[in-house]
Amino acid sequence: MSQAPVLPEEEPTAGGRARAEALAARLGRLTLNTTFAEDRFFLILSVFIGIFSGLAVVCFRVAIDWSRIALMGPLPHRSALRIIGAPTAVGLLVAVLVIHVFPQVRGSGVNQTKAALYIFNGYIPFKNAVGKFLCSALAIGSGQSLGPEDPSLQIGASLASALGRRLELSREKLRLLAPIGAAAGLAAAFNAPISAVLFVIEEVIGRWSAGILGSVVLSAISSVVVMRWFLGADALFRVPVTAFTHPAELIAYAVLGIAGAFAAVAFSKSIRFLRPRLRALPRWTQYLQPAIAGFLIGVIGWLGAPQVMGAGYDFIDQAMHDQFAWKFLAILAALKILATTLSFVSGTPGGMFAPTLFVGAMMGGAVGGIERHFFPLLTVSTGTYALVGMGVLFAAFLRAPMTSVFMVLEVSGNYSIIVPVIVANTVAYVLSRSLQPIPIFDILTRQDGLVLPSLEEQREEEILRVEDAMKPASILILDGAAPVEEAAIRTRELSQKSFLVRMNPSGWSVISRELLDRMMKEGKGTLTLASVLPIQRLPYLYPDLPLDAALRCVNQSEIIPVVNRADSRELEGIVTRDDVLSRYQADSVAD
Amino acid sequence: MEYRIAMNPPIPTLARRTPLVVGALVAITILGFAIVSRLVTRLKANEKRIAFHAFEAGMAAYQGNNPERALDDFRAALSYDHDNPTYQLSLARALRDTGRLDESEAYLIHLWEGTPQDSTINLALARLAARRHSVDDAQRYYHNAIYGFWSTDPDRNRLRTRFELIDFLLQQKAFAQAQAELIALAQVLPPDPSAHLEVAGRFRQAQGLTDALAQYEIALKLDPKNAGALKGSGEAAFQLGRYGTAQKYLRKAVELYPDDEALQRELETASLVLSTDPFLRRISDAERNRRLVAAFNHAGARLKACGAEKQTASRVPAAGSSTETNPSPVSVETMADLWNRWTAAHRDLRRLSSASNRDMPDALMDLVLQIEQQTAQQCGQPAGPDLALLLISRDREAVDQ
Repeated sequence: MSQAPVLPEEEPTAGGRARAEALAARLGRLTLNTTFAEDRFFLILSVFIGIFSGLAVVCFRVAIDWSRIALMGPLPHRSALRIIGAPTAVGLLVAVLVIHVFPQVRGSGVNQTKAALYIFNGYIPFKNAVGKFLCSALAIGSGQSLGPEDPSLQIGASLASALGRRLELSREKLRLLAPIGAAAGLAAAFNAPISAVLFVIEEVIGRWSAGILGSVVLSAISSVVVMRWFLGADALFRVPVTAFTHPAELIAYAVLGIAGAFAAVAFSKSIRFLRPRLRALPRWTQYLQPAIAGFLIGVIGWLGAPQVMGAGYDFIDQAMHDQFAWKFLAILAALKILATTLSFVSGTPGGMFAPTLFVGAMMGGAVGGIERHFFPLLTVSTGTYALVGMGVLFAAFLRAPMTSVFMVLEVSGNYSIIVPVIVANTVAYVLSRSLQPIPIFDILTRQDGLVLPSLEEQREEEILRVEDAMKPASILILDGAAPVEEAAIRTRELSQKSFLVRMNPSGWSVISRELLDRMMKEGKGTLTLASVLPIQRLPYLYPDLPLDAALRCVNQSEIIPVVNRADSRELEGIVTRDDVLSRYQADSVAD
Repeated sequence: MEYRIAMNPPIPTLARRTPLVVGALVAITILGFAIVSRLVTRLKANEKRIAFHAFEAGMAAYQGNNPERALDDFRAALSYDHDNPTYQLSLARALRDTGRLDESEAYLIHLWEGTPQDSTINLALARLAARRHSVDDAQRYYHNAIYGFWSTDPDRNRLRTRFELIDFLLQQKAFAQAQAELIALAQVLPPDPSAHLEVAGRFRQAQGLTDALAQYEIALKLDPKNAGALKGSGEAAFQLGRYGTAQKYLRKAVELYPDDEALQRELETASLVLSTDPFLRRISDAERNRRLVAAFNHAGARLKACGAEKQTASRVPAAGSSTETNPSPVSVETMADLWNRWTAAHRDLRRLSSASNRDMPDALMDLVLQIEQQTAQQCGQPAGPDLALLLISRDREAVDQ
């Protein structure tokens, strides 16, 4: 956090002091009370947003289950008609709904929420929540290869936005409500509040903001409590016993990270390539695209890989328990990438969270199986690789490295594998970033013609600080206790127009040669500099402050002192407006 | 006044209406909870119904020896009714039977953590450990199952579980542990001949012949004409070298199993042993000497025949015969030595009845037994009187040891 520059102290005249103090006290009390009331209300509201989002997500999951039972049939041995027919027919229906009724519910919902925060002042139409709920439940229930998490995120954000508008909250607060609702929706969908909070910070807010963190955490926890109240506290997967026993295993996990990076890049590039091309096709094809995607996914399911249909959590669970041979796991990972790409680029509403975990788990299991096949001495179970693989793809594809680590820990409840998770995720993240510099969500927003802030960009951004622009303090510094006459003599031979004055007991001021000459002419040579200088003191800066802070005060004086944090009377250097502007200019030229 | 107008912002309005808003939100929350509760209850009821159908289909497949199909159905049942222990247990069993031991264990451990005293779960875990040949784990879970809670027919289930544990230990050749379990089991057996027969049979497998015979005899006390008990007693007594007892039981058993040739042979051998053994108590000196001479002559004939057989084999090796059938120089030497000793002893046989040769019967019998053991090694298991002599030699050896 940057510290604001120290503001000059104001010394009121004796006559106005009493009135001003009374006014200040009164204003202070009022401002404090109203601010406190607003903040307190906002925190309470966050809890309610969490509760409502939790309820909405429970209903969403119920709706997905109903639609799955109704469309795909309740039992595992299904006919070809259901496997192929359901996603195709639902694809047609969803296309009609998306084109004519809910045009803003295409895709995952993460970008829409982010756009609401940064472009539309937190405004997300309530209709979007209804549309997302309906279309995603139908699509996922019919076997489209999409997940319920991102839609839950958007439903939560949409509910929060609607509530904020109903309560006529200020624009500033309204803008904050979208990520609060998003965190609540995601937390309830994934039953993982910490991961949800981190994901919203990394992907929706796109920057660290302590001001909103408390509300986001409150809403996420509230929604998870509600979800567990209705659907139980069981984790999404039954994670097998996992352990990290030997440091040499880290090499195997690093290999998993490399494989994950390539899989993520393939996934990302296929979406990047196909999405704009499909959207550029004539309008009438938009009606058919989700149906064709559904048909192709149904065919994949019918040909022997029904695991790729729907969110696929049950099969992730099975992969973690060594249920599939590594060859089949590799096939499933590839088919899931294909199926999810088809579903997503066709404009079917649904999330990429679950498919990412699915691909990661299958790929992790496959890599683990291969490694164990060639290096039988590796004692780690395939389930452990599947678990780490989920985090790997999350880090490499969604580019949410912190969320990926905490997600694995939260889902597994096992901190003994934190080192392998960090190693594999870091390798995957770094490699995928070098192979595909733009994260998937940024690709999607840019394809939609929007430019939104990204935490990844921020991480790479070089922050300019005051020390980058300041000059050494090799100038004459006058003492505030010195007479004007002495100051005039000392400055006579110098070419400077202004001189810094160190005031007692603290603070800095500036005096111009012109003022010194005038004081001498007026016969005030015996007076101290402190007595003739204006009441308003000069602002000063610290070397580590962002250079933006200097911009706020360079207009107040020709020279701004940069002082030591331990002793504000010790001068580290000075900055002028020209120094600051030159530094910015040099930086932009370098970019 | 000026200040009041200037500082009258909209926020206090919000602050003033906060209680109303919070009240409304609480009301909406209560309403939402009621609606969602109803929805979830309906969904869960529907899912439980579907789960039961899937479970029934799974059970049918499982009992129809189609565990793969059963697996799919059990999984489907559990996907609709996650916490149902019956479905979990059934899935775990199907997983175990299809070799997916890790996943099976995950389910069972989850169930076990909930009800560690449940004998059914412990039994399933024990069987899983047995599949993994983990004797310690299996024994622990079997014991948990034996001493745990059974919802139905606990005595019968405990008995069956103990038998299962014993069978597992026998399979693992953990005979000492198996005998310990059998001794514990024997204490709590009901007065049922068939139960004692089962225990006796397992005692025999665990090489506890004395205990086996005791159990057979208990079964016979309960049912004196029990054919299985008579046969088992005869066989156990025969294996123990108690040929008199064996003869007694085998004679009765043969009457009940007239077509059982092995039993017939055992009875004949037992009778032969009893009629051949010169060391048997309560026989006269003349009879002992007669038996000694007969045994000596049988041994000599056997040695001669065996030597001739070996010599022929060494001269004309049969096509395709392995080198193992050819006598090694050592065995030829031993047999020659035995023959020399037999010939020398044969010359002194006349002095057998004289009172000065008190050690001679033992020396003669030692030679006979050595000849029978050596020829059994070289020329295979004998039959008739030679077999009886061989058995006598083994019993003597056991007594000596």
